[in-house]
Amino acid sequence: MKRKLPARSLLAVAALLAIVMTAPAVSDEASENLAPDNLAAPESFATIGDSAARSAALFTEAGKVLTHPRCVNCHPAGDRPRQGDVRRLHQPPVERGEDGFGLPAMRCPICHQAANFERAGVPGNPGWHLAPRDMGWEGKTLGEICAQIKDPARNGDRSLDDVVHHVAEDPLVGWAWAPGDNRQPAPGTQARAGALLDAWVKTGAVCPN
Amino acid sequence: MTTLSVTINGRSYGPTEVRDELTMNDYLREYLGLTGTKFGCGAAQCLSCAVIVDNPDGTSYTSPTCIVPAASFNGKSIRTVEGHAKNGELSVLQKAFIDHFAFQCGYCTAGFLNESQVLLERLAKKRVPRAELEKTIAEALDGHLCRCTGYIKYHEAVRDVILADPQRYLV
Amino acid sequence: MRASRRDFVKLLTSSGIALSVSRLALAEEPSFAARETLPGRQNWNPAATGAGRIDGVVKVTGSKLYAGDFRAADLPGWPAKTSHAMIIRATDATHIYDGLDLSRLSGAMKPAAIVTAEDLARIGTRVPGFYAGDLFCPLRRTPLYLGQPIALLIFEDFDAFDQARLALRGATVVKYGEETGPITRPPYAAFRFTRVAGPTPDAPDVYSPVKNGWVSPGVFDDTQHPVWARLPIPTGLDYAEAAGYGEDIRAELAADNPARLVLERQFETQSADPMFLEPESGLAWYDAGRKNLELVVGVQSPYDAAESVAFLLGEADAAHKPAHINTLFAYMGGGFGGRDHTPFPMYVALAAMFFPGRAVRLANNRYEQFQSGIKRHGFSIHTRMGVDRGSGKIFAFAADHVLHAGGLMNFSPHVASVGAVAALGIYYAPKVDITTVSLPSRAVTAGSMRGYGTLQAMTALEVLVDEMCTALPLDPIEFRRRNAIKPGERTITGNTYDDSIRTPEILDKLEQHAIWRERAAEKARGKEAGILVGTGVACAHKNYGTGADCSLAAVEIDPQGRIAIRIDDTEMGTGVGTAVANRVAAHLGGVANEVALAQIDAFGPLALVKSGDPYTIDQKTQDAAARNPRWVPEISSATAASTGAHVGTHAAAEAARVTFRFGLWPAALDLWRIGPKDPRAAQWQTARWKTGQLTAPGLSPVPLSDVAARAHAKNGITGAMAHGFNRWAWSQADFKIDGQNWTADIDALALRRGAGKFVRLDRTSVKFPPTDFSRFGTTYTTQCGTLVRVEINRSTGALRIAKAYTVFECGTALVPQVVVGQVQGAFAMGVGGAFLETLPLYEDGPGNGKWNLGQYLVARGSDLPLRDLEIEVLPPVNANERPKGMSEVVMNPVVAALVNAIFDATGHRFDSLPVTQEMIKGVLT
Repeated sequence: MKRKLPARSLLAVAALLAIVMTAPAVSDEASENLAPDNLAAPESFATIGDSAARSAALFTEAGKVLTHPRCVNCHPAGDRPRQGDVRRLHQPPVERGEDGFGLPAMRCPICHQAANFERAGVPGNPGWHLAPRDMGWEGKTLGEICAQIKDPARNGDRSLDDVVHHVAEDPLVGWAWAPGDNRQPAPGTQARAGALLDAWVKTGAVCPN
Repeated sequence: MTTLSVTINGRSYGPTEVRDELTMNDYLREYLGLTGTKFGCGAAQCLSCAVIVDNPDGTSYTSPTCIVPAASFNGKSIRTVEGHAKNGELSVLQKAFIDHFAFQCGYCTAGFLNESQVLLERLAKKRVPRAELEKTIAEALDGHLCRCTGYIKYHEAVRDVILADPQRYLV
Repeated sequence: MRASRRDFVKLLTSSGIALSVSRLALAEEPSFAARETLPGRQNWNPAATGAGRIDGVVKVTGSKLYAGDFRAADLPGWPAKTSHAMIIRATDATHIYDGLDLSRLSGAMKPAAIVTAEDLARIGTRVPGFYAGDLFCPLRRTPLYLGQPIALLIFEDFDAFDQARLALRGATVVKYGEETGPITRPPYAAFRFTRVAGPTPDAPDVYSPVKNGWVSPGVFDDTQHPVWARLPIPTGLDYAEAAGYGEDIRAELAADNPARLVLERQFETQSADPMFLEPESGLAWYDAGRKNLELVVGVQSPYDAAESVAFLLGEADAAHKPAHINTLFAYMGGGFGGRDHTPFPMYVALAAMFFPGRAVRLANNRYEQFQSGIKRHGFSIHTRMGVDRGSGKIFAFAADHVLHAGGLMNFSPHVASVGAVAALGIYYAPKVDITTVSLPSRAVTAGSMRGYGTLQAMTALEVLVDEMCTALPLDPIEFRRRNAIKPGERTITGNTYDDSIRTPEILDKLEQHAIWRERAAEKARGKEAGILVGTGVACAHKNYGTGADCSLAAVEIDPQGRIAIRIDDTEMGTGVGTAVANRVAAHLGGVANEVALAQIDAFGPLALVKSGDPYTIDQKTQDAAARNPRWVPEISSATAASTGAHVGTHAAAEAARVTFRFGLWPAALDLWRIGPKDPRAAQWQTARWKTGQLTAPGLSPVPLSDVAARAHAKNGITGAMAHGFNRWAWSQADFKIDGQNWTADIDALALRRGAGKFVRLDRTSVKFPPTDFSRFGTTYTTQCGTLVRVEINRSTGALRIAKAYTVFECGTALVPQVVVGQVQGAFAMGVGGAFLETLPLYEDGPGNGKWNLGQYLVARGSDLPLRDLEIEVLPPVNANERPKGMSEVVMNPVVAALVNAIFDATGHRFDSLPVTQEMIKGVLT
C-alpha cells in the first residue's frame, strides 16, 4: 500500500533544474583554474609555416586573454559592465555614462580606487572605467573581435601599434593579471599578451575565422 | 597604518592612526559611534552606507563606506545623515521625506537622503530640462536599494522639492 | 508621567529567571527607553497633523534607533568598551564535522573565548522546543543543515575581531571527515484538508476539518514521506476517513466527462530571502556579580525572544544562570516575517554568558544574513482543478503541497497549514482535498515571510485559473465572478468568514480599468511596434491573524492632554507606531506624544497568567482556567505585517475607549456643567473629536487639554491598560467601573486615576473564543486584485512593466499614506519574486556563505513602473468597519498577474519562479 508522494513528478524536477540553470544568481566561485603559464609564447607558433595561418593562430592565442572575464567584463555589449568570473551584471547597476566613467551619481573611481581593496574584495586601479561602447566584445566571436580591433572606428581610433601598446603597457589592462583574491587572473602575463599581439601585427594582423 | 584626518559634518576628527584594512563604515560606526550611516550589504550593492564627500571645488558626490578604506578619506570632508539638520532645523529634503512618508523601516533612508541631497546640489549648479527630471532622479537613485517602499515615495519627495523651486533646479 | 517610566513588575519564568525591560542607572547618555520612545515629548511630531510618521524625525536624522546602532558606550551603566563575536558556520552538511582549524588566528587575533556545542553541554543549556536542533553542531556529527553554527568566537575588541574576520575569509576553518550524506528526518508536519459540502448550500458539510477535526497521515514510507493513501489499519481512523473522501474527490477529477474540464498542473515556487535591509544583530552583557544579563535586540517577537533566552539558560550551571534577564527591544523589529521567532537572540545571549563582564556584540554581515536568516519556503505544488463547462464553476479541487522547509522546524508546520487553507484563494468549491507536507532538509531554515505560504499557493492557483479561462474558454473576470466565495459559503476548512468580502467590487474595478479594457488594442499596437505586449490579471485574498493573537497596551493622558501609548507590537516599517497613535486619537482627540513599542513587561498591573497552548487547549481546560480573572490563553504574540492594524492597535483602542468613557467624558460633563442625572450624561457615544476639541450635539466644544486637566483635577480615570486575545474572534469580558457595567473586546483591564498607579480590575465575566475555533484556519480575510501590462523585447526577452493597477480593501485605513506605501513595496517585492529572486537550496545556495546582493537580485527602481503603478483602496463598508491587515494581501496577486501577462504576450505559460529574461528569451526563439 506504500505510495510515493505524488507531487514530485519528473516534471517538477525538470522545472527545478531550469531554475538553477537559468537564474541570474550563480555562485561567485572561481571557474576552472588557469595557471599563469597557460598562454603560449609567440615563438611556439614558429612552426606554422603559412604566415597568414600563423598570424591568425597568434591572435587566437591572444584571444584567450581578450575573451577572459577580466577583459570582457569591462568591454560589455551594452552599457552595463559585468562582474566576477561568472560575468554577472554589475551590482549596483552602474552605467557607462558619457565618458566611460559612469553616470554622474555613480562614478567608477569612487568605489574602484587606485588599488585593489582586498578587505572588501573590490578591484582597483587608477582610472578605472569602461571601454567605449563600440569596443564591446561581449558575445562576439574571436573573428569579430579581431575585425573590431583593427577598425579605428571601433578601437578608439588606434593604430595597430597603439593596440599592441594598449594591451602590453596600459596599467588598467595590466590589472587583469593582478586582480586580487577571488578573481582569476587573465592567462599568461601582460607582456606575453602584448608579445602575441605584436607578433600578430608583424605577421600581417590576420584575423581567425 | 595610515594617518587619518577627516572632517565630518563640519567637525574635525584625527589625526589618528588607522589600519589600512579598516573600512570607512567601521570607522564611522565602531570608532566614532556615528551609526546613522548604515551597514547593509558590505559590498556597495545597496548603498545604505553612502555618505556625501565634499570636494574643495564646491562639488560633491556620494561614496559608499563599506568597501572603501577609511584611510582613503584622509584630508576629505564628508557629510552624513546626522549632519543635514542645522540647529535642529530639518533640511527641505528631510522634511519632504517625512511629508511624503518616503521611508518605512528607514534603514535605507540615510543613503537616499545623501544621494538626493547631492542631486539637488548638482542640479542647482547644472539645471536640467523639466522633461529630463524623472530620468535624472531615477538614474541618481537607482543604486540605492529599498526593500520596504517600492521607491515611489522617495522619488516623489525628491521631485516635489525640485518642482517647488523650478528656477533653481530646472532649465 | 513619561511613558518610559515603567511599572517594574517583572515576569517570572518557569526557570526562576526574572524577565524585564527595566532600565539601569541613568547617566549622561539618554536611556535606551528614552531613545526608543517616539517622537518624544519635547519633539516635533509629524503624525500630529497627519504629515508624517511618529518615527519620521529620528529616521531622517540618523538617530540611534535600530538594534545594530547600539554599542556598550551608548547605554548608561554598561561597560565602556564593546567586544565583538562572530559565528563560524558549516558549509557542508553531508560530511562529519571534524574540528576547527583556527591556526590563522594567532597573536592579537586570538579569540578571547570560543563557544562550541561541547561548552553548551557542559554548562547545561536547553533548546526551546520551537528551535529544536543543536544550536552548535557537536564534534563528529554531520551538520544538520548548511549554515549551522559550529562555534562562536569572541574577541576582546573591535580591532582583533576585524583582523580575525579578514584572516578567516576564504580560509578552511571547519574540517570535515567522512561522508555520511545529509541527515534524513521525518517531515516537520503533514496535514490533509478535505471538505465535502452537503447537498444544498444550507446543508451541513458531509465532511470538513471544522466538523471532523484536522488530520495528519500517521504512516511514513522509507524515504520519510507521508503515505497519503487510505490504509486498512486500525489506528489512524480519523485520517483514513479524510483520505477516503479525498480519494473520492480525486477519482471524480480523474473521471472522463466531456461536460467537465479538468486541468492538472505542477508549479514550483522558489526559496527566497526576506532581505530586510538591517542585518540581524544584538548586544549583550552579563554582569556575573549581580547575575544580571542585559540584551539589546530587534525582533518581531519580543516575548518569544525573552522567553527563549530564559529557557536556554534556565537550567544552566550556577555560573551561567542569570537571576535576571533584562531585554531591550529596539523600536524596529521587522522584517517581513524573517525576524519573527529567529534564533539569533539566543546566540547573542550565549556570547555574553561566555564572556562575562564585557558587553559583546554579535552582528551578521549580509553574507551571514543570507547564510543563516529565515527563508521563504519554496513550494512544489501539484494541482487538479475541475470545472463544469456549462456553469463555469469549480466542482472539485485537489492540490498537493510540498514545502522545502530546511534545517530547523521553525514555523514550517504553520506555514504548511496556512498555505493549504489558502490553496483555493478567493474561490469556492464544494469538494476540496489538499495535502501538505513540510520536508526537512540540509537547506537553510525556512519560516515566516510575507505571504506565509499563501503567496506560493495563490500564485500557482491564479496561473492555473488563467490557463483554465483560456482552455474553457471563459473571460477571466467572469470566471472569478462566478467562482468567488460569497458571504456564508464555507472555506476549505468548513467555516465561514466573519468579515467583509469585497471580491465582486474588486472584480468590477479590474474589469472597468483601462489596462484591462485596452488589452487587445495595446497588444495590436505592440505588434506594429515590434514588441510583445501582454496583460495579466490575478486576484487573491489573505487571512490576517494567526488564531492566537494577543494585544497589550497602556494608554495615558496627562493634565496637559498629552498622550502616551505603550504596546507590545514592534515596528516592521509598516508604521504601527503611527497607526496606534491615530487609532487612539479617534477616542482621545489627540495624536500621542510618546509611543513605545515592543513592550512586554510594561503591563505588570494586569498580573496576567497563562497555561497550556492557546492552539491546542481543550474547552474544559479553558473554561476552568478562565475562572481565574487574571488568566488568558496567551499573554503576548509576535508582530506580523497583517496583524499590526487589526491586533497591534486593538488593546490601545480599547484602553482609549474606556479612558474616554469613564475619564474624559465625565470630565467634559463637569465642564459643561451637566449633572449625572441629566439624560445628556449618558450620551457619550454622540461625542466627536474635531481638531482637538470635544464636541457633542448642542454643547460648546471643549479643548482636550481642558478635559484632561479636569479629569486629573477630579482624580478621574486618566489611563487604561488592557489585554485582548483573538482566536478568530476577540475575547470579551465585563467589568464594573464606577458602578456601571462595561463590556468590551478585552479580557483584562487596569485603570489609572489622576496621577496614580494602574490598578487591576477583575473581570466579572469573560467569554474566550471557543477552543474549536482553532480548526477554522481563518475567519478574517482581505482581498486584492492586480492588473499588469508588460512589454517584451522580441530579440532579448527583456521585459518592462508598462502599467500596473492594484485595487484592494482593508476596512478602515488607519494611516492611508502608510497603506499605500505597503502596496508599493509589495508590488516591488512581487516583481522580485516573479523575475529576480531565487536561492538554490543546497551547496550552491546561501548556506555556503557566499551570497550577497550581487547574486540575489531584488527589485530596484529601474525594475518598476514608478510612475505607472495606480493604487485604489476601497472605502470601508461602513464608518465603523475595523482596520484589516493588508500588508500581505497586496503582494499575493502580483506575481501571478505578471506570469499571466507573460503568457498573454508570448503564448508561453511558465510554471516555475522566477521567470528570468533568459527564460523568456528561450521561448521566443
